[in-house]
Formats: sequence, structure tokens, C-alpha cells
Amino acid sequence: MTEGIEKSDLLRFVEGDCSPDEAAAIQGWIAADPRRGELLDDLRAVWGLTGSSTRPWVVAGARIRLLRSRGRHAAQRSAGFSARPRSLPFGRAGHGLARIAAAIACVVAGTVVWRLRPRAAPSREYATSPGQRLRLTLSDSTRVLLSVGTRLRVPRDFGIHTRAVELDGEAYFVVRHDPRHPFLVRTRQGVTEDLGTSFDVRAYPQEDYLQVVVAAGRVSLHAGPGRGRDSALSLRSRDRGVIDARGVLSATPGVSLGDYLAWTRGTLAFRNAALGDVVAQLGRWYDVDIDVGDASGTAERLTISFATGSVDEALATLARVLDARWTRSGRMVRLTPLQRRQ
Amino acid sequence: MLDSHVRSPTLQRRAPPATPPSWESAFQAHYVELCEYVLRFVGSAEAAQDLVQDLFLRLWDSRGPRDATRLTRPYLYVAARNRALKYLRHRRVVTAWIARVACEETPPSDTPEDLCLRGELDDAVQQAIAQLPARCRAIFVLRRREQLSYREIATRLGVSLGTVKSQMWRATLRLRTKLAPYLARPVIPEDRAG
Repeated sequence: MTEGIEKSDLLRFVEGDCSPDEAAAIQGWIAADPRRGELLDDLRAVWGLTGSSTRPWVVAGARIRLLRSRGRHAAQRSAGFSARPRSLPFGRAGHGLARIAAAIACVVAGTVVWRLRPRAAPSREYATSPGQRLRLTLSDSTRVLLSVGTRLRVPRDFGIHTRAVELDGEAYFVVRHDPRHPFLVRTRQGVTEDLGTSFDVRAYPQEDYLQVVVAAGRVSLHAGPGRGRDSALSLRSRDRGVIDARGVLSATPGVSLGDYLAWTRGTLAFRNAALGDVVAQLGRWYDVDIDVGDASGTAERLTISFATGSVDEALATLARVLDARWTRSGRMVRLTPLQRRQ
Repeated sequence: MLDSHVRSPTLQRRAPPATPPSWESAFQAHYVELCEYVLRFVGSAEAAQDLVQDLFLRLWDSRGPRDATRLTRPYLYVAARNRALKYLRHRRVVTAWIARVACEETPPSDTPEDLCLRGELDDAVQQAIAQLPARCRAIFVLRRREQLSYREIATRLGVSLGTVKSQMWRATLRLRTKLAPYLARPVIPEDRAG
């Protein structure tokens, strides 16, 4: 089985370009000598260092295949066949007649499913509720991490001319740059354009600003049409760009990435933040409603961080810093300032 | 029944999406990484895609209240792994290989910040690639970055398919030597943020 296999065949194996039979032969060849296994590990490591995936997987195509087989399943089930998947890579046993009937069912179901499908793929929307985060890979292999209470819309023409997505909330993007198909994040206050990058965009509807923090590479930030002057800002690694409520752009270089990206590791960090912002973000993060009562008007700025674990611990930390007492019943939290008498 | 007359055909076509959002999200979020994972077991992209597709089909067939647990990353990885091992046993792949891949761990779910830290390593990788001989480098970059097929590379550079393959192999071996210090899984400190 294993004669004629050479070391260089391992490359095809790593990339997955083998047929199942070739793969089995190479597996036997590798298992016969531990040094071949070490070489395989090294090749995979080189692959891991030089690209984000081993090969270009086509998510969109897989999705369409899946939708079609799903229709096929439904048809098989209603026709009285087993609803179990026709375990594709395994044996092809099956009664001839049944297979013909199934084939007809497939064709019928396929047509029905196809007819029911809208002409173009509909736009897709991903949403996280408070307390929930979501990691996505888009069809262009851009990676996105959605923060809590966030909504990301991927329009149906994503990738045809531009790769534009619409964001309400906060998300971290790791974009594969492609000058022919610019990646754009549209938000209420403005548009963030990738120029080869990883970056964080924050634009919660409840907040009146757009904030972009660049972790690597470059992005360009444009104010939305009709908002202030139609200007743009070019941001580099460790820059923080903001478009405020009046549409004014400003940039701060050399910010601490740790602070702004802490959420991606499950920690919330605030530096010199308004109490209202801290409370709003805590509410989204732990899915609670926090009533700070009298303290809400204070101009006090907070520098505080919360390791996500329990909501009660976080509330205790906040209460300690604010010199307040806290009570929680279900989702409702009340903070009351401790009476201080001179 | 009555209002079905009233409804316009466009409205009907826009009927509710057939896929619950959570299910769609799980597919979008994990399809690629599951294919990558299963590929390590089976070595054939064709088989890996079929196995992952089968897994999602099966989940779709038995969808219901348990989806909340079943559509999570840990569950999907375990299910994919079991399917891959079952497939290998079914195809009577040598037991030594099965024993080897049975040790295959779930890759850590790297946060974007991990990716950012890994960027530091990228400089070393860029340098190593830059030091490859010109033709070797051109072929390697077209394959890994532009993700062209071997045949497309051969056409674009006007060389034979055999040359592309042998240069690709040469590039990989050179990078293996150059990047030897990094080939072990890079250890990323738990907390660099503080």
C-alpha cells in the first residue's frame, strides 16, 4: 500500500488535497516511522505560522450544500425513509428501488427548496444578548468577535463589490485585507474602512459616539454623511479614533490596547470613565439593570476593572469604589450611597 | 386561508428564514475551524467537509430545546472528533494512526487578542519568507497568501506543475529550518494586559 510515497507527499496530505484512499495510504506510511510523524508535525506548524487556514474552505458553498441536503432530508422523512443522513463517506448500501425513489424525492425537494429560496441570499444578522459573546468567521474568512448586546448585519451583496457590514454595539475584527473588495464597518456615526488590519469598533445605539481602536495595521475612519464636515481620519496601530455626537473626529495615539481589548479576553476595564458608561456596560455584560439613584449625576470618573465571573462580585467591587451599598433582586440592582456625615 | 389571497407573492417569498439564527450562527462561526480540525484526522479535505456537513445535518434533524448546549464550540468539537475517529475505524486505517490522532486536542479558542500577540511572531515569519530564493518565495506566497491552486500558479508563472510542487516543498523545508525555534506551539502568557 505504501510504496511510492515520498516525503513531499506529506504536503498534499497537510493541505488535504488527497482523495480518501490516498490519505489512508499516507496515514499508514506515516505510522510506520515516528520520524515521518515528526516531519508531519513540523510541516503543520509551518503551515500554522504562515497562514490563517490550511486551505481556502468555502463557507458559502458549504452553506448552500447544507441547505439543499436539508430539504432532501425533509423529503426523505415525509416519504417514509430514514431521516438519518446518508452517511456520505461510508458504504453505499441501499435498496435499488429505494435509492431511485429517494433520488426522485431529492429532485422534487430540491426544486421546492430552490423555489422557496429568495432570489439572492438574504442578508444575515447576528445578535448577542446581554451577557453573551459570539465568534464568527465571515465568508471572506474575516474573523469577528461580537461583544455583549451587539447586532451585526451582513447584507446580501457582501463581498460582491465591497465587504460592508452594519454594526450596532461593539465588535473586534480581524480582516484579511483585499484592496479590490474593501472591508467597511458602517455605524450610525460613521464608516470604518479596513486597510489591512485588526481593530475594535464600538458604537452602541445608547451612546452618542463611535470609537475605533486599532490593534494592528491601518484603518480609515469617515464621518457619516450629513454629520459635521465630511472628513476622514487615518489610524494606525494603537491609535484610538472617535467621532463624537457632533460628528467631530479626533484621534489619540498610543492607547493601551489591554484596556480597550480586555473584553475580548473576558475582562472589563475602564480608565477614567464616567459612571454612566461603566454602569451601562456592566448592565450589558451581566444582563442586569443597575439603578444608581442619586449618584448618577456625579461627575466622578472611575478607573476600575472587572474579571467576569459572577455579577455579584462585580457589583461588590463597584459598590466599594463608589462607597455605596448594593442590593440585587433578579435583574434589578440598586446602588444606594452610604450616608456620610461630617 | 382567506388572507392567503390577500398576501402578495413577494411577501410569501419573504417568509420567515428557514434556519433559526442560533443554528446559522453556529455554522458560520465553527464550520471552518471544524473542517480544519477534522482534516488533521482524515488528511482529505473532501472527507473532512463531508464529515462536518454530516454533523451539522444530524444536528439539524434532531434540533430542539437541547440546541443551546449542542451548538456550542466544545460540544461540536467532541462530536466532530467522534465522527472523525469512527470514519477512520470504518475505513480500516492502521491502528497506529488512529492512536496518534486520538491524542489530537481541541485547539484553544484564541481571542482576537491572542491573534494580536501572535502578530509579533509574524515579523519573524515575514523575514523567513523574505529570505527564500525569489522563485521559491513567489510560489510559496501565491499558494499560502493568494491561495491559488498549483495549476493556477504554474499558469501564472509559466512553469510546469512539477516545478511548482518541488519549489513548494523546498520552500516549506527551508522555512522549517528557519522557523525551528517557533515550531513548538507558541506559549502566550495568560495575562499580558495588566
